[in-house]
Amino acid sequence: MNVSDYQNEFNKIIARKYFPSRLNSTRQKAFSKFLDIGLPTKKWEDWRHTDLSFLNKNNFRISEANDAPENIDFSKYKIKNTHTLVIINGHYVEHLSDAPKELKVLTNYEYLEQNDWKQKDKKDTPFDLLNTSLCDSGMSFIIEPDTDIDKPIHILFICSGSENLIISPQVNIDINRSSSATVIEQYASETSSFFQNNCVFASVKENASLNHLRIFSNANKTINISSSYIEQSENSNYKYFQFVDSGALQRSDIYNSLKGTNSTCFLSGLTLLDDDQQSATYITTDHIMPNCTSSQNFKSVLNNKSSGVFNGRTIVREDSQKTNSKQSNKNLLLSDKATMNSNPQLEIYADDVKCAHGSTTGALDNEALFYMQSRGLDRESASSLLIRGFVIELMEEIENKDLRNYLFNKFDKWLIKNNK
Amino acid sequence: MLEINNLHVEVENKEILSGIDLKVKAGEMHAIMGLNGSGKSTLSNAITGRENYNVTKGDIIFKDESILEMEPNERALAGIFMSFQYPTVIPGVNNTYFLRAAVNAKKKYRGEKEYDAATFLKFVKSKLKEVEMDAKYLKRAVNEGFSGGEKKRNEMLQLLCLEPELAIMDETDSGLDIDALKIISKGINKYKNSSRSFLVITHYQRLLKYIEPDVVHVLIDGKIVKSGGKELALELEEKGYSWLES
Repeated sequence: MNVSDYQNEFNKIIARKYFPSRLNSTRQKAFSKFLDIGLPTKKWEDWRHTDLSFLNKNNFRISEANDAPENIDFSKYKIKNTHTLVIINGHYVEHLSDAPKELKVLTNYEYLEQNDWKQKDKKDTPFDLLNTSLCDSGMSFIIEPDTDIDKPIHILFICSGSENLIISPQVNIDINRSSSATVIEQYASETSSFFQNNCVFASVKENASLNHLRIFSNANKTINISSSYIEQSENSNYKYFQFVDSGALQRSDIYNSLKGTNSTCFLSGLTLLDDDQQSATYITTDHIMPNCTSSQNFKSVLNNKSSGVFNGRTIVREDSQKTNSKQSNKNLLLSDKATMNSNPQLEIYADDVKCAHGSTTGALDNEALFYMQSRGLDRESASSLLIRGFVIELMEEIENKDLRNYLFNKFDKWLIKNNK
Repeated sequence: MLEINNLHVEVENKEILSGIDLKVKAGEMHAIMGLNGSGKSTLSNAITGRENYNVTKGDIIFKDESILEMEPNERALAGIFMSFQYPTVIPGVNNTYFLRAAVNAKKKYRGEKEYDAATFLKFVKSKLKEVEMDAKYLKRAVNEGFSGGEKKRNEMLQLLCLEPELAIMDETDSGLDIDALKIISKGINKYKNSSRSFLVITHYQRLLKYIEPDVVHVLIDGKIVKSGGKELALELEEKGYSWLES
């Protein structure tokens, strides 16, 4: 895609009568800025290890109302005991969804209307700007105060169709005071090539708790760029788990602001890559207020020519005394050609804090392999046990049993294919 | 049972063993004694088939068959077991799960019915008693957070479960307190019978107070310089190794 291709798609959006025209100036501003700064290049510090050539080589168009999805087999996405909400090519499909009655589901325009048309703050990266300019879909989910939703809400973002599409959804998740929920976002593309460029805003209010999971299981010709902005008020808990096992490029930028005291923010993730897949996770945990606890615990297993990036940044601001923060990134390379860039960073401006970080990257432990073989296990069984042993601690932190089983199942499938 | 003929072994292009001859019959216990660097561990690694221990000359015959071309797991299935000097920690792999996988690999090799989780737990608990090991170690990852003595008991537990015909005890006594040493020795003595052999590799005579080898060999600079009965071990304790050096 080149500049004029993006311009074409932008013109189509502006011309669409069914989007509120009062958003056009916001779109226009964002798009002009996007044209000014352009797509990131490898000279940009945060994009040094992300190869975007896939975007330049392929053309994508925005989806039309009559883009018919293929026959989709939903059974492979079904997670037991969850409420499933289906979004196909960015559009909410109500008749396939079973939203719990306690959950308020709004279109983004209804949501904006309720919030005086105030746009959420973004970092204005090129992809954020593109999302603002081309945003054609998405949903807003609101949980009213003092509401606990017992079963997880599984939001299934499916890309399907015979043409290459660019999908730019925005998702808002508001967990109001003293409420709690588990929200699973799953991104899945069926066949052709897709460019998913989404922004997610989660707001976890006072005394509320959000258990947030994201599963990226896209087809090999799909690129997914996700920005998540999470704001936490006091006494709130946020737990995040990210599972990546496919896709040409998966890029996650996560910004977490701890804006209230006595809150916790635990982020973790597992990335499994094969072939020449790429994955990059950039995190900023921003401790603004005192007495908060945060952690970043990410692992990857990389096979063949795949490459991964972990860039975890924790900022402990001057006022955020008594912060307790941990970062850990561990990576297992199954091939000589796989590469990992790991960069945990701490920026501490307060003096009474506890912070630790660490990172390791290595191949399978030959000593352990020999030990297991010397007890009669063949090499394949031994390495399978070791790889499983490497990920199990992270996976077992997923409290919901059905979800954990679903992801273990996906992990096992990956392992069978990659442990040879 | 085990026959080693003129064995030469190189590690990183350096010859460590220079012509070892050794015959261990079924039911016999042999002790290999020697100082650090004499090649004791190289011998056990060559028998068990560890990577980078290259046999340049000679042969290792186990139950009338050369094992040099066999993978470490094939040697294990054939009936060779080594109790490691430094048992490896395997994070994330549950001890019981690992042990059951190993025992079932052996059962499969023998054409026997494999254990399900419940039956195996019963089986392993009966073996636990023999090594006086706490059941809590079954729930941990293999050797993770185990003390030196607990690791060696875990090795002994594996031995009892896998029922090898040849057990190589590599420096089993190193780092063991007296209680653990007695338990391990008791285990060895109980396990030994007319069809099971032991190769005990040790630097010190300490372990030999509790178990009685039929033959003691002294290894110096990659060669067996002297073989004899149990009294040879006592002589070494008294006089050290220097009188045997050429």
